[in-house]
Amino acid sequence: MSVPSELLYTKTHEWVSFSSGEATVGITDFAQSQLSDLTFVELPQSGISLSSGDEAAVVESVKAAADVYAPVSGEIIEVNNSLEDNPEIINNDAFGDGWLFKIKVNDESELNQLINADSYIEICPEH
Amino acid sequence: MQSSAIIFKNPIKYQDALDFQYRLLEARQNDKISDCVLLLQHKPVVTIGNRGRENFLLKKIDEYKQIGIDVHKVERGGDVTFHGPGQWVLYPILHLGKKIADSHGYLYNLEEIAIRTLNNYSVKGFRREGKSGAWTDRGKIAAIGFRLKKWVSFHGMSFNVMNELDGFKTIIPCGLEGENITSLENYLGNKINMNDVGLQLLKNFSEICERDLNIYSEIDLLPDSLKGLNPPRF
Repeated sequence: MSVPSELLYTKTHEWVSFSSGEATVGITDFAQSQLSDLTFVELPQSGISLSSGDEAAVVESVKAAADVYAPVSGEIIEVNNSLEDNPEIINNDAFGDGWLFKIKVNDESELNQLINADSYIEICPEH
Repeated sequence: MQSSAIIFKNPIKYQDALDFQYRLLEARQNDKISDCVLLLQHKPVVTIGNRGRENFLLKKIDEYKQIGIDVHKVERGGDVTFHGPGQWVLYPILHLGKKIADSHGYLYNLEEIAIRTLNNYSVKGFRREGKSGAWTDRGKIAAIGFRLKKWVSFHGMSFNVMNELDGFKTIIPCGLEGENITSLENYLGNKINMNDVGLQLLKNFSEICERDLNIYSEIDLLPDSLKGLNPPRF
């Protein structure tokens, strides 16, 4: 199972890449493997504001649907529209092209609530 | 930590079971309870999953009402299905990712529970590429559709034991046209004990999902943490 060390993580299996005030968010390799082949992604609308822990997106496979949560508070400034036609990108590249949305972070100190790769691996069943 | 299984003897209205699942879901997300699983039968109901297509309903909503079948649109994965008495429904409320068994994938584990239960009755069950659930050479016998919220599961799997299969004729089950639906009793051609199949499902659930179970079939015996969540009448 791949867990890039440069990213931050949540206990609900989202990953976060932070630079210049923006957080790019996706679901982890573990999460996509649990859901198997994804068939649909419901993305948030650009421009809406979310608080950390709010439901932000839904990812679905043939038999499963899972909620994705905003890891930090802020405004959705971009969503990955290419997932609408090709949700399998998440299965193929969860940490790269399979990103879901970008948040303009309100309060950078919220990033301290996220966990690093080593701590994330600890909460996955395969460690 | 021990998990709990609750067996309901009498068929339950879909909405009552759904409301209870939501209470369990929230309690599990907040670690107020440990993992648990419900084993129950529903009163006749057609449910449509999140991406379910209403054109797989072969009757109008009013017509379903007239023949005593409720219709619910629900936020699980999967398409259209039918539940009714004589079919066991397994609703695991599990915080996934805490057990090695979870790494196999929850969908795989649910299918495995059905396949192993069929095997217990000397019926060969199998998976079919691109068509989830558990199958026999005479049709589909178990259907799956679940949702994860904060990585806690709800909804789950249904397993046809001795149910009237007519309800499935009012829909295109899971959107799969021309596929047969069967039940364990229909397949075997002889009477089987509903309770025994239920216990077998729970035993296989326990082994495959690596959750040790305390099994409750009387409301009075439930621990307070579960009793306090107002389970529907047993």
